[in-house]
This record gives sequence, structure tokens and C-alpha cells, in this order.
Amino acid sequence: MDVLQYAWLIPVFPFIAFILIALMPKRTLGWEDGWGYGIAGAGGALALSFLVIWEVMNGNTLTEDAPRTTWLIIGGYEVTFGIWIDQLAALMLLVVSIVGTLVVVYSGGYMHAEGETRRRYYAEIMLFISVMYGLVIADNYLQMFIFWELVGLCSYLLIGFWYQKPSAASAAKRAFIVTRVGDIMFMAGIILLFKYVGNLDFAVLFDVNSGAAGAPTVPSDILILSTALIFGGAIGKSAQFPLHEWLPDAMEGPTTVSALIHAATMVKAGVYLTARTYPLLVQTPESLLFAAVIGGVTALIAATCALAANDIKRVLAYSTISQLGYMILGLGAGGYLVYHLQNPSGYTAATFHLMNHAFFKALLFLCAGSVIHAVGTNDMRLMGGLRKHMKITSTTMLIGALAIAGVPPLSGFWSKDEVLAAVYHAGDLDPIFLLLWVLGIATAFMTAFYMFRMWFMTFAGKARSDYHAHESPRIMTIPLIILAGLAITSGFALFAGDGFKAFMELPIEEHVLAGHESAMDVAVEIFTDPLTYVSLALAVVGILLAYRMYYMPGFDRSVFARGTAGTLQRALENRWYISKFYDDFACKVWYGFSLVCDAFDRRVIDGAVNGFSYLGASIGGIIRKAQSGNVQRYASLIILGIVILLAFLLFVVPWGGW
Amino acid sequence: MAVWNYLESLMPQLVLIVFALVLPALDYLFKDKRVLALVSLVPLVSLVILLVGWLFLDVWAMSTSMIDLIEVNAFSGLFMLVFLFVGIVVVLGSPEFIRTDRNQGEYYSLILLAITGMTIVAESTDLIALFVGLEIAGISSFALSGFRKTEKRSAEAATKYFIIGGFSSALTLFAITLIYGIAGTTRIVGIEPILAGNPAGIDAEPMLILASVLLMAGLGFKIAMVPFHMWAPDVYEGAPTPISGLLAAASKKMGFAALFKIFLIGMILTKTDWEVAIAALAIITMTVGNLIAVSQTNIKRMLAYSSIAQAGYILIVLPVGTQYALAGGLLHILTHAFMKSGAFMVVAAMGAIAIGERLDGFKGLSKRSPFLALTMTLFLLSLAGIPPLAGFASKFVLFSSSVYASIDPGPSWLVWLAVAGVLNSALSLYYYARVIKYMYMEKGPETTVKVPPILTVAILFAVVMVVGIGLFPDPFVEACRTAAEAFAGLPSGWP
Repeated sequence: MDVLQYAWLIPVFPFIAFILIALMPKRTLGWEDGWGYGIAGAGGALALSFLVIWEVMNGNTLTEDAPRTTWLIIGGYEVTFGIWIDQLAALMLLVVSIVGTLVVVYSGGYMHAEGETRRRYYAEIMLFISVMYGLVIADNYLQMFIFWELVGLCSYLLIGFWYQKPSAASAAKRAFIVTRVGDIMFMAGIILLFKYVGNLDFAVLFDVNSGAAGAPTVPSDILILSTALIFGGAIGKSAQFPLHEWLPDAMEGPTTVSALIHAATMVKAGVYLTARTYPLLVQTPESLLFAAVIGGVTALIAATCALAANDIKRVLAYSTISQLGYMILGLGAGGYLVYHLQNPSGYTAATFHLMNHAFFKALLFLCAGSVIHAVGTNDMRLMGGLRKHMKITSTTMLIGALAIAGVPPLSGFWSKDEVLAAVYHAGDLDPIFLLLWVLGIATAFMTAFYMFRMWFMTFAGKARSDYHAHESPRIMTIPLIILAGLAITSGFALFAGDGFKAFMELPIEEHVLAGHESAMDVAVEIFTDPLTYVSLALAVVGILLAYRMYYMPGFDRSVFARGTAGTLQRALENRWYISKFYDDFACKVWYGFSLVCDAFDRRVIDGAVNGFSYLGASIGGIIRKAQSGNVQRYASLIILGIVILLAFLLFVVPWGGW
Repeated sequence: MAVWNYLESLMPQLVLIVFALVLPALDYLFKDKRVLALVSLVPLVSLVILLVGWLFLDVWAMSTSMIDLIEVNAFSGLFMLVFLFVGIVVVLGSPEFIRTDRNQGEYYSLILLAITGMTIVAESTDLIALFVGLEIAGISSFALSGFRKTEKRSAEAATKYFIIGGFSSALTLFAITLIYGIAGTTRIVGIEPILAGNPAGIDAEPMLILASVLLMAGLGFKIAMVPFHMWAPDVYEGAPTPISGLLAAASKKMGFAALFKIFLIGMILTKTDWEVAIAALAIITMTVGNLIAVSQTNIKRMLAYSSIAQAGYILIVLPVGTQYALAGGLLHILTHAFMKSGAFMVVAAMGAIAIGERLDGFKGLSKRSPFLALTMTLFLLSLAGIPPLAGFASKFVLFSSSVYASIDPGPSWLVWLAVAGVLNSALSLYYYARVIKYMYMEKGPETTVKVPPILTVAILFAVVMVVGIGLFPDPFVEACRTAAEAFAGLPSGWP
């Protein structure tokens, strides 16, 4: 039995769980109002995902020959649903299955106090995981788009889970509306491709302009536009500048949802889309440059915003945006390398970072959830000294912080270093990448600083408020320990077997390079490169700075409140006023425009509709008079109708020359 | 052997008639009257299996041999399927509704007889056979709508229906006589060649126009075409609710089967004479139906007017007159049968649990019975033509046919039929959405209600079809396309 043929069952497991949780009578829901079904659904998908990943690691993929079913035939185009399992999809399956399952397990403790609403929570979370799987294994852009939108819907539902809170309701709306801007671009991109190719299957599109027999051709300017538009979808979904502001607000949802959104599902979908579109992207260096710049700028801006945030989840949110910026930057620069040098190192580095980030970010979020669960607040200024009470949480979170800060040998070090090396390498081709590399290095420094600022503020020192902390139940700490293990070890995938680089083949046949580097070569390359030590030194300096400022006593932080530093501090606290810009300027302009539309709608359109309906009602009234219930009247009306019709056909029609 | 040939082709009708004759007898044998419903389901379900196996699954072939009066082909098969589906839904919806009534055996018997008449119309190749079918179905439904003799409303509805129905039958018969007078034949396929040959050199055109108009009136009564629709709201309101469903979803479709046969086969030659009139009537019908539906406060009357509007949409087929349009019309007939009978079953369920038929009764229904509220929402949205439900798929094919036909083979004004259809759909959303608003946004009584299981089955069946056809329209479009190909005289019009 070929397991890959059955990969379409992966999303089916959580979907069945979703149906059961949503529809079964309450008394049959069992543990925690649906938790058991959730575990079963997520576990089934996890098991099957692992089988599929195993097959892919053995060198089997299922792409162009995958089974597909026809859904609709529109004109000459068959809308099909199929599966597409290559290394990239396997990587995402790994991430979604592990993080998804652990989040569901962890929810059993975290959501315990929610009571009745847990049913809605588990139903929505199972749907979320299911549609993310669906997105990952899609074999055409339309299918991907459908699941893409469903992912957006689920994130809306879950961010607004506590919809009674106005802030949660508005955060949910914000996430939905802002990502919608990207969705429209994505849709425009695929419509454009469809117009020129007449097909949306990856199997066909990835051959565009390849010169092979029967391969479709698209004019290069159109291809640039469409890839840039598709990348626009990633900007929205992956919270890239300037559409990044929804993600910090999305913290209003339960922390488990944040973990899922940040590590495995929603925001990773954008990066996945970019990587998935690689065969097209690498033909358009302009789009790649655009992506790289967006990624670099996002990484830096988000990192600076994290410096001054006091909400533990907001720090993590900005760090996610910043790390996603890294991935996009790596993909952009990597595409440039492929375009000019046939060198896939940027692509492998970015996808590697995607995997590592998923584990340590899920870990960090679940740790934060554990802290919030214990203290009952998100504000780090009210924490402090938690290490004494929460041994496991503080240790695992330290591991997560070390990983994201890029301290060897934890996972973040390897992938971040690879991304930065690829960007630096691309600097040979276009000097702008050197600038982006500087942004990346600066980001690395800031990342180390703010992560340890967060850790010291939370766990070290003395308690700054009156809380009654306790370690979380085992159901929550076990996932933390598993994820901490992954955060330590997942970086070694670079050396396992033939190495991660050999595994992550580029999805473009012509570009597959013969003779990969051996694992040893990779290690030697990393440790002989002086750039490695630059980023490492900056990370250590960042950590030490945080140690000095937030751990050792006697540092007067009030210097930041005065003068230029104070201005900067306030700018950071206000997230560079970008959110304010949206609220004050964009929203006002838009609101003004909306008012005009509203007036037009009320006066003109409603006026017309009201006039029409008034007319309709009066005509209806007249006709209703005929509807008297009097049979004789009915019969005479029939005769009248016949007479009028006859007169019309005999005299009017011939005369009118129809 | 000739007799055997007749019997073989009429087998479905014979099965229905045998069961119709047995049912009143069974009435005396069983105390639990639900058995009667079960027994009347037997022929309906088995014939559906027969037809689905033939039309969709290709498991077996039906004898499509033609005898003098009837022909079994994909077109008649599709219509038969619609009638049987509606029959199943109606029978499933009935036991709860008529629980306390007497003479239930006759009730089911009449339903089977009405369906028999309808299938004869769908299969007829001769005007006489067609007329006989119309009468069988008509007389059975007169009796059915007056089933509750003691109820004033029901009796009044039946009387009106009978008088106007008799009148319309006379008009139809008169038209048939005129056609026979001109063409010298009652065979539908035989009319056109004779007309083409211009018999006896007389100017038959005024006579033919008179015949067309009389047919429009006589059959327009069946499909509730404005201005021959007056009876419909009164009768739908007065008749037992499942029977309203039968009239709206099946009897009306029989009228279309007859109209398609006579106008698109027999009278196709004189299309230029009648197409403008029917186009105008189509637009008037859909507009009037929707306009009056807006102001209704009784759900059954609202659905009745909405049925009139839907008939207006389907009428587009006649002036457009391509196979593509016919396929669209057939698909809409099919989907409308599910949406409308489903909606009527929800109303029947509301009646069975004593909520009544006023629109106000729907207030807060989502809290009282999420199932009824959700299914009703689906039916209404489908009727309005919202994707991805069945009503969208069929309206899409139907309206697009007039757009394509306006380019080829013309005339170009056909496009206005699509415009009118789309505008009317938008208008209709107003009163459909109002019901949804009542169900979900307004507060009503808090007591939860329990839907009788058998009605749940009927509603579920309809909702599965509405969603299923909406999501996977292809096999149904294909079946309608095959059915439309039976009308070989029409231009294809397929894009």
C-alpha cells in the first residue's frame, strides 16, 4: 500500500473530529467537552503525517501523478481537488502535525476553566488544523485559495473566541480585514495566471516558460506582476510590513490559539505560499527583490517594536513577525541565488528556519500561556521572580529564548545563521542585499536582547505584584518539555542523514544540483565563516545587555524616558505609530469615503430602492385588489388575459416588426 | 404483441395505479395509519431507483421504444424523477400532518394517481394523451386540496381550484381542437411538418395564434403564469400543506412538461409568433410574483408567490428556445422541486408542532429548533440563487442561456430576459432574507420544539439534494443536457 496515495486523509481526521464535536449531543462529548475527540483527530492526522513524512524521507514524492477528483467543469477547465506531496509539503506536515497535536493536548489544561464554551473552542481548533492540512497538501492554486480563506475564517473565529470582550471582537475583525487585503492580491495573482495559462494546477504552472514541450508561456511582465501579487497574499497572511499590525492585536485570543497561529497555521501559510510559488518566483528577480526588502524591513521594524512592549504575548508576537521577516528575506535572497547562481542555499535556509521557528515559537507561546495561567495577567511589569514557582516553565522558556536568540547548539542558531549567510552571499549579486544583511544582523542583536528582557522581567528578580503562582498541571508541562527537546535538537536536522539541505530539494527539476555538500562540509563551512561569529557575538552582547539592564540591580532605566531616548522609547511603545497611522489617517480617510458612500447609498440607492419598493407596493396593492378571492373575477381575468394576448400577437407584434 | 408493448411502456404508471387502488383497502386493515404512508412509498422509491439507475448510473437501460401515444426518453425520465421525488417528500411529510384525519387511504391513493397523471404528461407524444394526463393529475389534486372537507378554507380552495381548473381544461381542449383542425393530427411531432407544408393553402396563422394563446392560458393555469395565476395563492393557502407542496413543486412542473412539448416541438415553426408574448409574460410573471410576495404575512402565500416568480424564470426557456436553455429550465425544475418542497415541509413541520403559518411564527426559530431554522435558511437562500446551493447552479445555466442565445441564434433582445431574471432574484432576496432575519435575529418564544422524525427525514432528504446539486452540479447538468437533446429541432446553444 502506498501511503502517499492516502495523504488526502490527513485533513479528514481533524475534520471528522470537528463535525463530531460540533454536532454530537452534549453528553457524548466526554472529557473536557470534546478534548478527547480533538486528541483523536489530531493524533490520527499526526500518525498519518508521520507515515507520509517517512515516505518522503525515503525519496518518494507524489506530485504530478497524484490522484485528483474533478469537482466542477467550467467551460473547458476542470476544477480538480488533488494532493501534492513533496519535501516542502512534508516539512509543513511535520510542523502542523506536531505543533497542532501538542497544542490540543495542552488545551486540556489551559482551557479547563472555560466550561461550556470549550465545545466551540475544540470544534474551531479542529477545523483550523484540518483546513491548514488541506492548504498544505493542495495541488492547485484554487484549492489552496479555498483553504487559505478557510484558515482566515478559523483564525477570525478563534481570535474572537472571547467575543464578549470588545477588544477581542475588534482584534478578530482587524485580523480578518487586514489579511483580506492580502487575500485580494493573492486572488488577483492567480486570476492573472489563469488568464494567461488557463490552468491553476501546480503541475502545469510550474512548467511556465520552462521551454519544455507543451509548457505554457507567460509574458515576463505578467509573470512578475502575478508573482508579486501572490506574494502580496503572503504579506497579509504572514503579517509582513505594512500589513503586520493585525498580529500583535490577535493576542486577544486564547494563548493556545496564538501558539497555533504563530507556530504552525495562519502566519506560516504565507511563508509556505511563497516557498510553494518558488518555481515561478525564481523566474522573476524583481518580485524576489521586493520580497527580500519587505522581509528585511519587517524583521527590523518588528524587532524594534518588541524592545519596548510590556505585554508578554506582544513581545512574542513581534518576535514572530520579525522571524517571519527572516524567512521571507531568506526566500527572497535565496531566489536571487537560484536565479543567478543555481544555488538553493537561501531556500533551504528559509524553510529550515520555518521548521525550527515553529518549534521554539510554539514552545515560547505555550510557556507564556503557562505563565498567564499562573499569574492571571499578561503584563510583565506585574510579574518577576516566577522562577521559584515555575521550575519547568522557566527552564523550558529559557531554552526557547536561547534558541530564538541564536545561541549554539540550539536550533535557532543554525537556521538563522544559514539565512543570514545566504543574504550576505546574495550581496555579491546586488549590493542591496548587504544592506538587508545589516538589517538582519541588527535584528539578531535585538532579538537576543528583547527575549532575555522578557525572560528576566518574568522569571528573575522579585515579585512585583501580589500573585499566587503555581506550576501548571502536567498536561501542560509535558508538551512544553517535548517542544523544548525539539527546540534543542531540530537544528541538528542540518546534519542528520544526508543533511537537511539534501532533503529540501528545490521543486524545480532543472535546478537540482548534483553532488550535495556532506554534513561535515556544512559544519566546517559554518564554523570557518567569520560572519557566524559576528552574529553570535551580537547575540551574546544582546543577552548580556539585557542581563545588565533587567537583572542586575542598580541600572537606572529612567534615562530612557528623557530626551531623544524618550522620544524613541515612546515611538517604540506606540509601535512606530503605524497602528496609529492606520487608525488616525487611513481609517479617517476611509471613514470619510465610507460616509460619502453611505450617503450615496442612503439617498440614491436606497432612494431608488425605496421608490421602487413603494412603486412595487402600490402596484402590488392594485394587483392584490384583483386577488379578491372571487372566482368569477378570476375567470373573467383569464378571459381578459386571453383577449389582450390575442390583440397583442395579432396586431401589435406584426405591426411593431419584431 | 401490441398490447404487451403498451403495457411495457406504461409499466411505471401501472405500478402506481395498482398501489393507488390497493391503498384505500389497506386503510381498513391497519390501525396505525403511518403504514399507509410506508406502503405508498414503495412504488415511489422503487421507481426512483429504477430511474436513477437508468439516467445517472447507467446500470440498466429503459426501453425507450415509442408507441403511438407515449415515448419514454431522457426528457420524460427526468420529469418523472422530479414528480417521484416530490411525491416522496410529500408522502413523508403527510402522516404527521393528517394524523387526525379520516380517509387517509384515499389521501395517499390520490397522491399516487396525481403523480401517475403527471408522468403520462411527461411521456405523451400525442395531444390527446397529454390532455388525459393533465386531467388525471388535475382531478386528483382538486380532490386532494379539498381533503379536509370540514375545514372551510380547504373546501373553498378546492372549489376555486376546481372551477378555474375546469375552465382552463376547456381552453386547452379548445386549443387542441384548433390545432387538429389545422394540422389534421394530434401527434405532437406530426404537427410541425404539416404546418411547414402549409396545408390546403389557407392562411392558418391567425388560427394558430389563437391556439397558442389558448394554450398559454390553459397551461399557464397549471404553472400559475400571470395573469392566470389568481387561484394559486388561495389554493396553496387553503390546501393541506403537503398538498401545497405537491401543487407548487410537481403539478406546476407538469404544466412545464406540457408547454415544452407543445411549444418547442409542435409549434416551433411559429416561434416568431408567440415568443414575444411568452417573453413578456415571463418577465411579468416573475416581477408580479416577487412584488406581491414582498407584502405577504402568511408563509404559505409568500411561498406561493415565490413559486409564481420561479415559474417566470423557467418560462425564459420558451422564447430562448435552445437546448442549452431547455437544459437550464429542466435543471431549475429539478432544483426548484427540492427547494420548494423542502420549504413547504418546514412549514408543515411548523404546522405539526402548532406554530402556525404566520411569518411571525418564525421569530426566534433558531433558538427553538436550530434544525428547522438552518434547513429553512438553506432552502430560502437556494431559492434566491445564492451559491453554492442548487438554486444558483440552475439559475446560472438558465439565465446564461438567454445571454448566449441573444448572440446566437438571436434575436438580441433575449438578453433582457436574463437581466430581468437577475434583477428579480435580487428583489426576491428581500423577502427570503426577511424570514432568515426573523429566525436568527428576532426574539420569539423560548420553548424548544421537537420536529417529528418522519418530517426530519423528508426535510433532510431535500436539504441533501439542495446542497449536493449546488456543490456537484455536473452530473445533473449532464442529465438535463441529455434530456434536452430529445428536442432535436432546437438549436444547441451550448457554449
